[in-house]
Amino acid sequence: MPEHDDEIIEQVADELRGPVPLSASFDARVMRAVRRFPRHSRHSRGAVWSRLTAPRAIVVRPLSAGLLAACVLALAGLGLVQAAKMVRAAAKPAVGGVFARTAKPAATQRVQFVLVAPDAKKVAVVGDFNGWDASHAAYQAKHRGGGVWSVTAPVPVGHHRYSFVVDDTVWMADPTAPRASDNDFGLPNSAIVVEADK
Amino acid sequence: MLALLVALALAPNDARAQDPRLAARLDKPTQFAVNAIVDSARAAALPTAPLVEKALEGAAAGSDGPRIVVAVRHLAARMGAAKHVLGPRASADEIKAAAGAMDFGVTVRDLARLHAAAGKRPLTMPLAVLTDLLGRDVPLVTATSLVVQLTRAGTKDAEFALFQRNVRLDIEHGADPAVAATTRGRGMMLKAAHTGGRPTE
Repeated sequence: MPEHDDEIIEQVADELRGPVPLSASFDARVMRAVRRFPRHSRHSRGAVWSRLTAPRAIVVRPLSAGLLAACVLALAGLGLVQAAKMVRAAAKPAVGGVFARTAKPAATQRVQFVLVAPDAKKVAVVGDFNGWDASHAAYQAKHRGGGVWSVTAPVPVGHHRYSFVVDDTVWMADPTAPRASDNDFGLPNSAIVVEADK
Repeated sequence: MLALLVALALAPNDARAQDPRLAARLDKPTQFAVNAIVDSARAAALPTAPLVEKALEGAAAGSDGPRIVVAVRHLAARMGAAKHVLGPRASADEIKAAAGAMDFGVTVRDLARLHAAAGKRPLTMPLAVLTDLLGRDVPLVTATSLVVQLTRAGTKDAEFALFQRNVRLDIEHGADPAVAATTRGRGMMLKAAHTGGRPTE
């Protein structure tokens, strides 16, 4: 490199090293601007509140924001599904012969109900386990021949009252089961205690 | 937004407090009356499902509204009396079974005797069998005394079921209800004494 280029570079460097001249009012202007900021002192009243309420500029990348929103929605959705499951489970009702037990350990057991009614055209089981609904599909008995009607249906573990409804009109107690009180509506009922299999 | 979603998720709980089946099967005045009884029972920590089921039973039986309300109210009263005797740890099934037995005339004093005889064992089966004996015209004093003795002797639920079945068959074959129950009861207590059960009265 030519020597005169070194001299030029040296002159530029000297210029840059030199002090920057400032006007006399520069310091005053800077201090006025600084004084406008709130003092951050442990001892000043409202310092914490000020820090909490002071606006902040936050930089969020679109990808991060999208991921965060997706996570929040997913959590909310899971929460909804879980709550719906809890509501459905709780709405189920707490959940023949006196004592029914099957091989399946569960909150509901399958119980066989049998009625001999040779003249019947239709037999259904109604009870506190199916809202006393004679049209409930799971509790419609089938004729097995010889006037024997039977159905195996789910009954929650616990104490229940039930009856047979013959031809949608006649209520009959289960002759093989303990009798339950029938003073309220004058219709015969039977009792059953369903136990969970141990 | 999240709070709203959570609130919406929880909202059905409040709606379920009033069983929708009642609205579907009862007229409005009966529904309101039954719901009021159910609310009172809930406040008293009584099981409410039996009350709803009783109303549905009445609707299925074709009963009129006032009769349904009376039946539900009586059941609530019996359950309240039963819980008072059986204590706060009584299960819903025990309370239901006790209310059924009281409908046949079992007194709170009899319930208390049975409760004392059972100790910590559940009373659902003994109460169901007691109700059955009363329904088959075994005299109240005889039936209650037998069930209390069997309970005190440690009779298990399966043995109670066998006792009920045997008494039923004896009655169906023409035996006097009191004689059938007493004979079968004594047989069970002798068997319990022989196999090391608790001594009888």
